[in-house]
Amino acid sequence: MAIITDQPESPDLPDSSGPGIELEVAEPDPHGDGSTRTGVFARPTHATGWREWLFTVDHKKIGIMYGALALFWFLIGGLEIGLVRLQLWAPDGEVISADFYNQLFTMHGVTMVFLVIMPLANAFANYLVPLQIGARDVAFPRMNALGLWVFFFGGLFLNLSWFLGGGADGGWFAYAPNTGMSFSPGHGMDFYALGLQIAGIASLLGAINLLVTIINMRCPGMSLLRMPVFTWMILVVQFLLVFALPVITVALILLTFDRTFDANFFDVAAGADPLLWQHLFWIFGHPEVYILILPAFGVVSETLPVFSRKPLFGYPIVVLSGAAIGFMGWGVWAHHMFTSGMGPVSVAAFSATTMFIAVPTGVKILNWIATMWAGKVRFTVPMMFSVSLVAMFTIGGLSGVMHAIAPADTQQTDTYFIVAHFHYVLVGGALMGMFAGMYYWWPKAFGYHLNDRLGRWHFWLMLLGFNVTFGPMHIVGLQGMARRHSVYGEFDGFEFWNKIATIGYFFMLTAMVILAVNIFRTWGRYRRGLEPGAGADPWDGRTLEWAIPSPTPEHNFDYVPVVSDVDDFWHKKYQPDETGKLRRIAYGNDIAQLGDQHPHLPSPSYWPIVLAAGMPLIGFGLIYNLWIAGIGLLLLVGSMFGWTLEPATDPDAGHGHDGNGDHHDDHGGDPDGHDDHNGVLAASTANGEAAGD
Amino acid sequence: MGARFVRRWRPEAEPTGEAVARAARERSEQERETMRSAVRRRADPRCFMAVPALGGLLLAGCATGRLDATDPIGPEAREIDGLMRLSGWMAVGVGIFVAAAVATIIVKFRAKPADDPDDLPPQIHGNRKAELTWTLIPTAMLVFLTIYTLPTVFELAREGTGPTIKVEGQQWWWQFSYDLDEDGHYEIVTANDLVIPTGKEVNLEIHSNDVIHSFWIPQLNGKKDAVPGRIHDWRISSDEPGIFYGECVEFCGLSHANMQMRTIALTPADFEDWRQEQLDGTEAAQAAPAAESAAAAGAALFETHCISCHVVDGAYESAAGGNANLLAGIAPNLTNLMSRTAFAGALYETYQTGPDGEYLRNPDGSLRLNVAELREWVRNAPDMKPARADNQQGMLDFSEVLTDQDLDNLMAYLQTLGSPPVLP
Repeated sequence: MAIITDQPESPDLPDSSGPGIELEVAEPDPHGDGSTRTGVFARPTHATGWREWLFTVDHKKIGIMYGALALFWFLIGGLEIGLVRLQLWAPDGEVISADFYNQLFTMHGVTMVFLVIMPLANAFANYLVPLQIGARDVAFPRMNALGLWVFFFGGLFLNLSWFLGGGADGGWFAYAPNTGMSFSPGHGMDFYALGLQIAGIASLLGAINLLVTIINMRCPGMSLLRMPVFTWMILVVQFLLVFALPVITVALILLTFDRTFDANFFDVAAGADPLLWQHLFWIFGHPEVYILILPAFGVVSETLPVFSRKPLFGYPIVVLSGAAIGFMGWGVWAHHMFTSGMGPVSVAAFSATTMFIAVPTGVKILNWIATMWAGKVRFTVPMMFSVSLVAMFTIGGLSGVMHAIAPADTQQTDTYFIVAHFHYVLVGGALMGMFAGMYYWWPKAFGYHLNDRLGRWHFWLMLLGFNVTFGPMHIVGLQGMARRHSVYGEFDGFEFWNKIATIGYFFMLTAMVILAVNIFRTWGRYRRGLEPGAGADPWDGRTLEWAIPSPTPEHNFDYVPVVSDVDDFWHKKYQPDETGKLRRIAYGNDIAQLGDQHPHLPSPSYWPIVLAAGMPLIGFGLIYNLWIAGIGLLLLVGSMFGWTLEPATDPDAGHGHDGNGDHHDDHGGDPDGHDDHNGVLAASTANGEAAGD
Repeated sequence: MGARFVRRWRPEAEPTGEAVARAARERSEQERETMRSAVRRRADPRCFMAVPALGGLLLAGCATGRLDATDPIGPEAREIDGLMRLSGWMAVGVGIFVAAAVATIIVKFRAKPADDPDDLPPQIHGNRKAELTWTLIPTAMLVFLTIYTLPTVFELAREGTGPTIKVEGQQWWWQFSYDLDEDGHYEIVTANDLVIPTGKEVNLEIHSNDVIHSFWIPQLNGKKDAVPGRIHDWRISSDEPGIFYGECVEFCGLSHANMQMRTIALTPADFEDWRQEQLDGTEAAQAAPAAESAAAAGAALFETHCISCHVVDGAYESAAGGNANLLAGIAPNLTNLMSRTAFAGALYETYQTGPDGEYLRNPDGSLRLNVAELREWVRNAPDMKPARADNQQGMLDFSEVLTDQDLDNLMAYLQTLGSPPVLP
C-alpha cells in the first residue's frame, strides 16, 4: 500500500473545472489563519455543540443526521398507521373518522417513502460512499449540507399540514382530478404537492453530488468494477433519481398550478385527460420503487460476503443485474395502470416487460444464496437482518410476478394483496436491509457496537411482527378487501385476519421501541465508559471503510489508499500460501490507518441551512399569501449570494489543528482532477482537498 | 368532516309517526338484535395452518366473504382465477426452493464455535454455468407465463354478445342505465343494483361523472376504472342467479369505502319480469298519489325539497339534465326506488335482513321495508354516510328542515315508487 502524503496545490487546477460545477472565486486566504474575515461572510468555527452539527459540511455528520431524521419520521409514520390498524380491528370501525383515516393512510405512505426509506438510504450513501471509494468527502460538501436541510424543511413543511387544517387526503399517488381544488378544497394537497417538491429538490441535490463523487473521486486503482457493490447500487440509484425526479417535479408543478392558479391541466371539463397524471406519477413512481430497494440490495451485498467469509458470488453479475433493474425499471410503469383503461396492446406490452424485470432480481437473490452457500456463516445481528431480506424480499418479488399477469392484476390491484406485496418489498426488503446496515456500520460511525442481545430481540420481534402483520394481508386481499377503505362490512369475512394484522403491528412497534432503547442505552453506556470500543475492523471486513479507525476520523483517510482488487482490504489481510489456500497474514485492526493526520478539510458554512429555510416560506406563500413567498425568495437569493461570497476556506474552522503544514488554498470544484487516470498525485490532492464544494 | 362516522346507524330514540310505528311493531325483539348482528362467517380453519409468510400464496382457497375473487361465478372471473392459481402455485414452488436454500444455509453452513476463525471456507468468486442456469430457468418460466397470459388479455378486452348497460360512477354511488330496446333512450335508470340476465355476456360502458372510480364485482370479473371524460368498455357474466357484491376500488375521496354496489343476476325469465316491473313502475310514478293521502303530502314535500337533485321519471324531471348543486351533476334517480335492494351507495338494505344477511319476510312472503333507516337517511344523510354537502358532495342534512310528520309523509310517498325487487 503506497503511502502518499498530501501534495501542494496544483497551479492549474481551477482551469480544469468541469461544466456545471460551481466555481468558487473567493480570494484565497494567503495566511491561512482566517483571522481577517469577520461579519456575515465569516465561516462558522464551532467545533463542538449543536452548531457544529447545524453548520457542518462533513458527509459523516450529514449522513448521521439523515439517519436520525429518518428514524424520527419512521416513528411518526408508524404511529399514523397504528390508528389505521386500530380502526380496522373490527367491521364498521368507529375509532377514527373517514376523513382522518384518508389523511392517515396518505401521510403514512408519503412519510414512509419520502421521509423514511429514501433518507435512510441517503444516510448510508452519505456516510459510506466516500469511505468506500477512499475519498475525504463528497464532491460538493456544502451542497450536501443543503440537501440535508432542504430535506429537513421539506419534511417539516409536509407535516405542518396536520396543524394547519389536516394532512393530505388524496392518497400518496394523488390521482387527478380527486386532488383538484373542487374535490379536495382543504390545504392538505397543497402541502403534499409543495412538500414533495421541496423533498425532491433535496434528493436531486444529493443525487448530483453522489454521482459526481462516485464518478470522479474514487481512489487510485478503484476502477468501476472494483467498487463495492453498495457504492455501485447507490450509483445506479442516483442515476434513477436524476432522471425520475424531474418527472414528478413536472407533475407536482402542474398540480400546484391547477390548485393555486386555477390552471386546468387536470380539469376534465376543460378537456384534460386525468390519465396524464397517472402516467407522470408512475413514470416517476416505478423507478422510485427501485430507488427504495436497490440501496438495501447494496447493503446485503456487503454484509453477506463478510459474514459468510466468502467473496460475493458473481460480483460482476450482481452489479450488472442491479444496473439492469435500474434500466428496465423505466419500461414497466404502466403496470400500475392495468385497470385504468389502456388498450389491450399496452396492457400486454407492460405485462410482458414487468415479468422480465423479475429475471435480474431473481439472479441477485440466487447469487446471494450462492455467496452464503458452503460458507462459514456467522449469524450476527446484521447478518440475521440480511438473510431475512433474502427470504422476505423473495416473497414480495414472487407476488410481484403474480401482478405482472395483467388479468390477475385486475383482481389484485387496489386490494390488500398489493398492500402485502409492497410491504414485503419495502419492509421485508428495503427496511430489513437498512436495519442490517445500521447494525453493521454502527461501530464504524460511533465507535461501539449496538447491544447484541437487544439487537436480537429487535430482529426476532420485527421478523415475527412483520409476517404477522403483512402475511394475512395476502389472504384478505384475495378475499376482496380493498385498500383505502376506512371500514369493511360485517359480511365481508375480513375481521379475523385484520385482528391478526393489528396484533402484528404491535409486535413491530415493540421491536422499534427495543431499537430505540438499544440506541440510547448503548450510547449512554459508551459515554460512561461501560461499552468497549469497536476496533477499526470489528467484522473482518472487506472494503475500505474498515481500513480506518472507528469512529471514522473527521478526515476519513490519513493517506489516500491505492487499491488493486475488489475487496482490496481483505486481500491485505489474507494471502494465498504456497498451496494456493488463503491464509491470514494480518489483522485489520493492526493494519488500519491510525487517524492521526490533520489534513485540511472543507470549512463549515452557515448558508446551507439558511438557504433551505427559504423553501418552506415559498411553500407557505403559495398556499396562503404570495408576500410570504417573497420573503422566502429573498432569503433564498440572499443565501445564494452569501454562499458565493463567503470565504472558501478557513483552515482553523472546526478541525482543531494549527492550520499550517498541510493547508491548501481552495481550488474550486474539480472533478477532472479527481479522476484516477490522473494518477496518484492528482487523486491525493483532490482527496486532501475535497474542499472546494 | 368532524363528526365521527357511524356506519351502522342506531336510532337514538324510538322513531315516531305512523309508518315507523307500524314498522317497529312488525319487528320482533329478536329481529332487532339481528339488525346489529355479529360476524356471520368466521375464517376457515384451514387458514390457521398457514405459515404467515407464505400464507397468501398458499391460501387462495380459504376465503369466505362476499367479495371473494377466488370464488368465480362467471367465465371471465374463472379465466382470471385460473391464471392466478397457475402463477400462485409457480410462486409457491419458487418460494419453497428459496426458503429451503436459506434454511439449509442456516442449519448447515453456520459457523461452528470450534472452527478456526482464520480457516476460510472455499473462496468461490462465481461460476458462469451457474449464472447462465439461473438466468435462463427463470426466463423460461416467465416466457411460459407470458405466453399463457397475453391471449387472456385480448380475450377479456373483447366485446360481449349480450345487452349493453351504461355504468356511471360518482361520489359515492353507482348508477346503471338500460336501453334494452336500443332506441337511443335509457328507459330504465337505477342505482346500486346492477341487474343482469344469467348466461349472457353483458357489456358495460363505464363512465365517471366526477373523479376516478373503479368498478369491481370480484366474482364476475376484474376491475375497470371509471375515468371522467372517457368511456371504458368492460364485460361481466354470471353462470348462475345470485347477488354478487362489489364496490369502488379506486380511491375517490371521503366516502370511498361506502361506494358499494351489487350485481343481481336473474334467469332470463326473471330478468324479463324485472324489466317489465321497471317499466310499469315508471308509468305508475307518473300518476299523482290519491289526494289528501299521506303520499300526496309527501309528494308535495318531495317537490319542495328533493327535485332540485333527484329525478322521478315522468313526474319530476327538473334535475334530469344534471344540476349545479352537485359536483357529480346527478343524484340517484328515484323512479323505482322500492325495487332496489339497497340505498345510500348500497350501504344500507332497503328491506330488513337477518343475521346472515338473508331477507326477512312477512307471513305472506312479502319483504319488510327497512323504514327506520330509510327515514333516518332522508332526515340526516351525512350522519349515516360521510359526505361533504357543504362542498356539493353528497346529500344535505334535512334534520332542521323536515318535521317527523314530514318524514312520515315522505316515506309514504317513497313507498309508492316502484314495486319490491325481483330476487334471484
